[in-house]
Amino acid sequence: MSLNVDFKMKAPENTPVWVDESKCKACDICVDVCPTGVLSMRVDPHNVLGAMVEVDHPDYCIGCRECELQCPDFAIYVAERDEFKFKKLNEVKKLKGEA
Amino acid sequence: MAFNYDYYLRTDKMPTLWCWGCGDGVILKAMVRAFAKLGWDKDDICVVSGIGCSGRFSSYLDCNTVHTTHGRTVAYATGIKLANPDKHVVVVAGDGDGLAIGGNHTIHGCRRNIDLNFVLINNFIYGLTNSQTSPTTPQGMWSVTAQYGNIDPTFDPAELAKGAGATFIARESVTEAQKLERLFVKGFQHKGFSFFDIHSNCHINLGRKNKMGTAKANLDWIDGNLMSKAKWDKHSLEEQHELRKQGKFPRGILWQVEDDEYCDLYDTVIEKAGGKK
Repeated sequence: MSLNVDFKMKAPENTPVWVDESKCKACDICVDVCPTGVLSMRVDPHNVLGAMVEVDHPDYCIGCRECELQCPDFAIYVAERDEFKFKKLNEVKKLKGEA
Repeated sequence: MAFNYDYYLRTDKMPTLWCWGCGDGVILKAMVRAFAKLGWDKDDICVVSGIGCSGRFSSYLDCNTVHTTHGRTVAYATGIKLANPDKHVVVVAGDGDGLAIGGNHTIHGCRRNIDLNFVLINNFIYGLTNSQTSPTTPQGMWSVTAQYGNIDPTFDPAELAKGAGATFIARESVTEAQKLERLFVKGFQHKGFSFFDIHSNCHINLGRKNKMGTAKANLDWIDGNLMSKAKWDKHSLEEQHELRKQGKFPRGILWQVEDDEYCDLYDTVIEKAGGKK
């Protein structure tokens, strides 16, 4: 049985990881599970817990999707690796090849 | 590009009513990804849930959903499956719903080996009603009804299901979301009663009074309680009994056999009685 539905969501331009702030409850799980320290919490008085997740260092993202998988609230999304991380690596490789 | 969950969800009900960091959301996401991987149309799925935080599953999934009375999820689902044998029925129940008040329905669903997918969300406490002792609350833990430490021994839901006759039994925790998704894919494809014991966190109603106040602390505790099945099998039966007493359990697919399915057996009854001509 095949299902004719597109399960792809378009990523914003040049963004490895992005947050839907209307859904985030600031549970801190994504900050804990991120292996490279991409995310951090900032003070946000408008949220219930007084905090909100922030993408601090997008360059560090390795595209492991751990934060997206562990987020219980559909709030955080990670771009596919080919679109961000490996694309960037390929450019580095090109530069090295030219040098 | 990222995975879009919206096809299977009632997005107007978002954000979810669950507490921040609740494991139910991780299970919901893993379930949606498993549905997408299997290519199931949302009109072919029926989600049955009972009372408790897990009861919200039927509100958030945009399939055919029934929110039933407390503990009677398997009873309702058996009727749904018998009336629509070609549809996929997913039952979502908590540990209070599926093991305490509905324990009898659960074991008889297992016994009949009807093609249901029973997802038991085991968070070791009655979370919705504020921390009463559940059948899986570990000994020594604080709860509202056991304020000097719980003395009731716990039991192993997977062994119960195996003894009752379920043909697919698996256990995983919410800390391994990708493994959970793969487990759902395998279990949903299985013909027969699929029993999933999913360990989830309730850092609000279990954790705060038991020195696991944050979601991460509770998740670490859950992760430390599970070991791989290969490692588990190396222990002797006595050691396994001791480990179970300490609250340690194996993870992964624990039991999978092929057996007669109840809807098929019921078809033979219809044939003999002269119906369906």
